[in-house]
Amino acid sequence: MNLANLLRHVSLKHVRLQKAQLVMAMAGICLGVAAMVAIDLANRSVLCSFEDSINHITGRATLQITGAESGFPEAMLERVQNVAGVEYAVPVIEATASLSGGRQRALMILGIDVLQDHQIRDYSITDESADIPDPLLFLARRDSILLTRTMAAQEGIDIDQQIEMQTVAGLRTFQVRGLLNPAGPARVAGGDIAVMDIYAAQMAFGKEGRIDRIDVSLLPGENFDTMQERIRQVLPAGYSIDTPAARTRQVEVLLSRFRKSMGFISCMALFVGMYLIYNTVSITVVQRRKEIGILRALGASRAEIFRLFLTETLLIAAVASLLGAGLGYIFARATVDLVAQSVSDMYLRTSVTELAFSWRAVLGNGATGVLASLTAAILPALAGTRLTPASAIRSLPYSAESSLLGRKIKIASALSLLAAVVIFAVFESAEPASAVRSLGVIMASAIFLLLGISLCTPLLLRRIVPLCHGALAACFGAQGRLAGLNLQKNVSRNGVAVAAILCSIALFVSSANAISSVRRSMFDWIDSIIRADILVSTGHPLATGGSPTIPMPGDMQQEMEKVAGVLSVEPFRKGYLNYEGKKVLLEIFDVARRLEYCPAMITQGSREDMLRLPGRDNIVVNEGFAVKHAIKPGDTIVLPTPAGPVPFGVTAIVVSYTSDSGAIWMDVTTYRRHWQDQLVDTFEVLVQPGRDIAAAREAILARFGGERRLFALPAAEFKVEVQKMLDRSFVLTNAVNILTLIIAGLGIIITLLASVLERTREIGILRGIGMQKNQVSAVVIIESILIGAAGGALGIATGVLIGWIELEGVFRLDFGASITYHLHYGAMAWAMLLAAGLSAMAGLYPAQRAAATNIVEALTYE
Amino acid sequence: MSRLRIWDCGWRICTWFMAAMILFGNTPAAQAMTGREVYEKVHEVRTKALDRQTRATMTLFDRGGGTRTRTLIEYSKKGEGETYKVLVVFQTPPDLKDVGFLVHARSFADRDLWAYFPEFKRIRRIPTSSQDDSFFGTDFSYDDFGGPPNLDDYRFTILREETVDGMACQVIEVEPKVRRKWSRYVAWVAKDQWVHVKIEYYQDKQLYRQGTFSDVRIIDDIPTPFKAMMENVKTGHRTGLTIEEIRYHTRFDDDLFTQRSLERAGK
Repeated sequence: MNLANLLRHVSLKHVRLQKAQLVMAMAGICLGVAAMVAIDLANRSVLCSFEDSINHITGRATLQITGAESGFPEAMLERVQNVAGVEYAVPVIEATASLSGGRQRALMILGIDVLQDHQIRDYSITDESADIPDPLLFLARRDSILLTRTMAAQEGIDIDQQIEMQTVAGLRTFQVRGLLNPAGPARVAGGDIAVMDIYAAQMAFGKEGRIDRIDVSLLPGENFDTMQERIRQVLPAGYSIDTPAARTRQVEVLLSRFRKSMGFISCMALFVGMYLIYNTVSITVVQRRKEIGILRALGASRAEIFRLFLTETLLIAAVASLLGAGLGYIFARATVDLVAQSVSDMYLRTSVTELAFSWRAVLGNGATGVLASLTAAILPALAGTRLTPASAIRSLPYSAESSLLGRKIKIASALSLLAAVVIFAVFESAEPASAVRSLGVIMASAIFLLLGISLCTPLLLRRIVPLCHGALAACFGAQGRLAGLNLQKNVSRNGVAVAAILCSIALFVSSANAISSVRRSMFDWIDSIIRADILVSTGHPLATGGSPTIPMPGDMQQEMEKVAGVLSVEPFRKGYLNYEGKKVLLEIFDVARRLEYCPAMITQGSREDMLRLPGRDNIVVNEGFAVKHAIKPGDTIVLPTPAGPVPFGVTAIVVSYTSDSGAIWMDVTTYRRHWQDQLVDTFEVLVQPGRDIAAAREAILARFGGERRLFALPAAEFKVEVQKMLDRSFVLTNAVNILTLIIAGLGIIITLLASVLERTREIGILRGIGMQKNQVSAVVIIESILIGAAGGALGIATGVLIGWIELEGVFRLDFGASITYHLHYGAMAWAMLLAAGLSAMAGLYPAQRAAATNIVEALTYE
Repeated sequence: MSRLRIWDCGWRICTWFMAAMILFGNTPAAQAMTGREVYEKVHEVRTKALDRQTRATMTLFDRGGGTRTRTLIEYSKKGEGETYKVLVVFQTPPDLKDVGFLVHARSFADRDLWAYFPEFKRIRRIPTSSQDDSFFGTDFSYDDFGGPPNLDDYRFTILREETVDGMACQVIEVEPKVRRKWSRYVAWVAKDQWVHVKIEYYQDKQLYRQGTFSDVRIIDDIPTPFKAMMENVKTGHRTGLTIEEIRYHTRFDDDLFTQRSLERAGK
């Protein structure tokens, strides 16, 4: 038989008759693909934005040299310039600032040697890439700044106009000496960038004599590796010599966990969509068994029947995936800012100006949708081929139980569960630095667990539902008993709907529990570390993406201590340093003073060990760092300082959740001695006992507000902000979880619709013997609620397990042993309500259809 | 008779020759000069002019018609062989006062350039590779202020002769042997004074910068253009330079050309 003829004459008829079912199946795949496309495009856009920034700022540089975050001596520049094979080596300072007027727009400051920089980057202060009326004046004055034409137009700023910006020395006025056309670095961050001469930037941002980076171009024919080695030889240890591509990779690595977890939840949405396809094809096979019998009797082979079902699925999935790709693009446009905000909150400041559309991402995810649908359709299609022509034509009752409750499924379920346990055990036993301890491995464990439990859902239903008959009858009467019997009668098909609910609820609950655990642990930690009453900084204390923090001079500490109501002021500085090729957070504060009022959470060592930090080359490290680098108290590690590598003794291991890549605590005196950096990012202010915190805050703002823009945030508000930031970072996760629940809801509707259709005659008899319409509706709705409740209960149990796996595998790796697993009972109750409620809603339409069944037609239906 | 005829014939030949000499007296010699030889003359004049003090006014004209004026003093000194030193110090406007520029040439092909900005109290080295870049935002290049070039680094071709502002000029195409920001320039060299009267810089075939030099006066036997105007054809920006006062054979002390002196604005 010709496949095209079969599709035209058999499949099309079915499509016409089962429109609603088809639309819902397509909607499931469509939403799954849309979630994947949206997350992929949004993630890609954020990465592209970073890559674009790096490329535009890097220009023709083939190597970039970086040292300590606070900068390194500019004398290193001459050393690099004199290395054989170096064509040009130019200094760079990168800082963030904000305009003091208007919307206090944040911008990146690029400090460059304008006399030489055009050798590396595509602009010059004297060519047509910029409009600078007097380049000599620009060079000669320390208040000179160049803005981009884009930003100037948006802010209504003209050449020769004065602007006020926050600097290390407080609010300072700058003169706009020219405008940069949107090319090269002027395209970075949507034009939110300003260029200053390097020496002016050094003065404005407290980096006199220091630079942040050296960009190097090589003479033609020079080899990267050779040049890296030559440059390394002239620099002290601790400097990083990378290609710009490596910098992009660093960002990729930094964001990889975020991207993978987003990818994971979008895959889960598709996974639930697969259930929907499985369910739809299974139902189709049941509904069309007579048709299959006739086709088989007419000579259609098993292979042709198999091909027919797969081709139908292929066509449906192709259309749905195409629609999903389009919908995903729309979702991506709507969510890209949210993703960028999350990345800015948690990792690096970014601003995405345009969506990085990629056919590869759209088509790739679309193809994944089609493949997933085909995979889901294989089992039910195979079941269809097993029907014998005689039994099918005679409409003998068909049940998928043989396939879904069969031995193979039991074995598959057991193997999946075993795989989940084995993978997790391997993960746990692997060394911290091992490749096995990756997010992919822990995800595989979670997916196998989900698969294992999903596969045994029909089995569980078969065992549990009979136990509930009595309770159902007691609660809902005859309708309850009937609903329970219906559920039991078609346990395989209902099992698929339950599994779909299970998956979505499991994701929801696991996320909620993991988030709750992180949040509670973080709050405990913040409570232990933030005991000050007021936090004073020039930017928002939490902001990486909003108003940037411009460091303040260290001597402000003494001035602030003189303010009325202030008991003491403690400086806090943070920066990053390269340790074994990774960026590690360095947190600097007055350890002795901090310990006077802070119960630091020490996991190894004691408070006495902590007190061995001031005045000595000692540090403490957080658990994450200690685990990753196998460090214990008493060890010595060598850290790069601007003056070269220095060995530091590790006295204790502490709890700190400030960085994924690890954190090091250092006493302020030690830091200042080695880094020659007197700047401070935040002052932590203790108010005198009995004095009003708000009044002290006002007094601080009154004293320093005229010099610089200050944020003086009460610690209580700071904690609320932390909570908001955490919640914001999980908004997308929750959105995809809800999408998954909707897909699962569609699954319930399809299942119940099929169930109602199949029981048309039965419903007719029930109506014939006197059952009321509302009673019929009630049966369907109760059945629906039961499916939801079963899915919800199993989902919650699975979610608890997956949440624990996530915590053990993902968060503990970063946050260490101190993090504890907290069950979020509220979220679990909500999940149960959501599952039952959504299922009740999903049952409304089939219930209406069932109630509307015409008794006479129903009795003649077969 | 025959002797007379022979003498007559000889006399005629001599007369014709002399007439030809009178008529075209300079031409055979000038035409015989190569582009390189013309530039050796230019070079000689420029080298002679290296010991000097110049007070000049520089005016920058932007495309919109705006002007910015600044005054400067230039000191220069010829040393042994090809060595020379130049110090330029801006006098006005107040924003630019004491901004300076120093050149130390070890040879015509090898020189160091530094700039000084008083507000930063820093001397900054200008890479040799920047010699074709704008001289502090003007339409002149650092090279224009850097003294005579090394002739061996260029190829010279005489294109034609032309008269510019009543001055007979050799039009010479100059191509650098090493890569420069410009691929060639065409210069109009006044034949009797060996100074540039007009110059055009090309990037490949495209004209990007052009200049004129006028009001040529002979000071201490050295032809000196008192007015120069350079235009960036791409941006429409122009810079005029007018010499207010010039003294040659100044024989300044070497101390005037140190980095310390640059920091003190030549004081």
